[in-house]
Amino acid sequence: VSDDPSQILERAKAGDGQAFEELLTPVLEVGFRLAMTMLNDRGMAEDAVQEAALKAWRNLGRLRPGSPLRPWFLAVVANECRSARRTRWWRVLRFPEITTSQRPSRLDERIDLAAALESLPTRHLLPLTLYYHLDLPIAEVARVLRCSEGAARLRIHRALAAIRPAMALEVDS
Amino acid sequence: VIPDDPELRAALEARSGVPSPDFAARLGASLRRRRPAPNIMPAIAAVVVLALCAATIGVLVYKRHLQPHQGGVASSPRLGSPTPSLGTPRPTASETPSPSELFMPTDVQLDPATHDVVWAYIPFDDALFRSIDQGGHWQQRSLPRIHGGRQPSISFVDANHGWFVNPGEPETQCNAASVAIWRTVDGAASWQQLKISGIDPEQCKENISFVDLNHGFLTAADPNRRPTIFRTSDGGRTWRKATLPDPPGFVSGDGGFTLRAGIVRKFAGVLLVEAAGMNSKTQKVDQYVFRSVDGGATWTYAATVPYDVETFAFVSATRWMQGASSETTDAGKTWHKFQSDYSDAAPVASTFVYADGQVGYATVRGDFHRTTDGGHHWVMPKTPWLLSG
Repeated sequence: VSDDPSQILERAKAGDGQAFEELLTPVLEVGFRLAMTMLNDRGMAEDAVQEAALKAWRNLGRLRPGSPLRPWFLAVVANECRSARRTRWWRVLRFPEITTSQRPSRLDERIDLAAALESLPTRHLLPLTLYYHLDLPIAEVARVLRCSEGAARLRIHRALAAIRPAMALEVDS
Repeated sequence: VIPDDPELRAALEARSGVPSPDFAARLGASLRRRRPAPNIMPAIAAVVVLALCAATIGVLVYKRHLQPHQGGVASSPRLGSPTPSLGTPRPTASETPSPSELFMPTDVQLDPATHDVVWAYIPFDDALFRSIDQGGHWQQRSLPRIHGGRQPSISFVDANHGWFVNPGEPETQCNAASVAIWRTVDGAASWQQLKISGIDPEQCKENISFVDLNHGFLTAADPNRRPTIFRTSDGGRTWRKATLPDPPGFVSGDGGFTLRAGIVRKFAGVLLVEAAGMNSKTQKVDQYVFRSVDGGATWTYAATVPYDVETFAFVSATRWMQGASSETTDAGKTWHKFQSDYSDAAPVASTFVYADGQVGYATVRGDFHRTTDGGHHWVMPKTPWLLSG
């Protein structure tokens, strides 16, 4: 048995469960943290990560040789979280989405971040989680979001603007 | 430049968490055990396309070579010999159910069609199983081939007749979503897509439930409007809609303060449906039962249920269960504790469904439990879809 990552990958692709577990273990925690942050529910996060792990293994052949596993796996987890959030909106839309008319009119008005995160659409919550919580470099955020680095920066800015209108105005100014 | 935001980091951190050792161990054990069945549908599709192309080319070449020598009448015996049946329409569903290796689904949709017949749909592997002996033995059946959409749902009224709904991808906040409905009359050996009318594009389409061969219901909901229950009386071709009213103490409003309806059940001419949603006043999820005595044309509030949306189940017109630990026998007026040996180790709630007053099923994380005495005693028959079963 070789420790060469490429050989572990090949063994995992061939159906070796232990090899896939070796690949998965280093990224399992970060995947779970992503799911927890996206779903805010341990049971749902476990389900999402489990489904993501199985789908990742099933589709391991699509991972290009030499490509890092982490952003690819995080993208799979993010997809599972998207599906899970769609199915129960009362968990994620307990509060009205922040729209222009609902934003605080005064810059010093404090936003309840926890409530705002709960109602934040997935398209905004995901880039914020990847960048601010998982501390991924922008290049890896872009890989997970499957876009260019510039587009990833733009998405983070837009997400910030949605949840932190005051901060977005400060940045713009 | 992306600004730092310590407050945002802290708020995200507060939502986060690490996997429990138990979860990591369970996941690792399942991975070591076996690989999930590969998704071979793209490969099968490619092979079919290649085969059809080869057959088409073969027939064309064959005919071209034949033409100079054939003289109208003489050619018929040779042309009439067996050739690939290019003119035969191909069914949209696979004719022969084929066994496939399934792996630890987290979601199983159970539909008890009769006292003995129960159907199980596993979205993870897009697989359908039928049992005609209360889950003692299972046979895999076919499903329509679908692409995209939200999670489908099934409804069967016996071992042969059933419906499959594939809700389309919704617009933002379920403002609108399409839906496609298939029907089988041969136990899901084949499926025919129905030409449907009367189902509005508004709202996400969710649960389908047929109470007999002709009468069925389809629920629809979104976070900003009251839920809709479409009804059909011709097997699913034409539909009319009714809206669930606000129950006492609940005011439907924008932003998720709306109800979502579950499966419609019929008991002796009375239709019952459960609906749950976030109450804008209490900020808690409330659960209600609605009834209809006119076939679903109008719905009225019937009762408020101690909330547990995952575990609520109708057993009869007046006996309803919350999981296996609480029941009402007077249609929700009073609730009391219920003695049962049901147990599971999952951190998420089980889903319960009853075929009748005695036979019921529960599932959580792919497990399959059965009771034949109205919920007191439960067993776990083996299932083909659960690896650890």
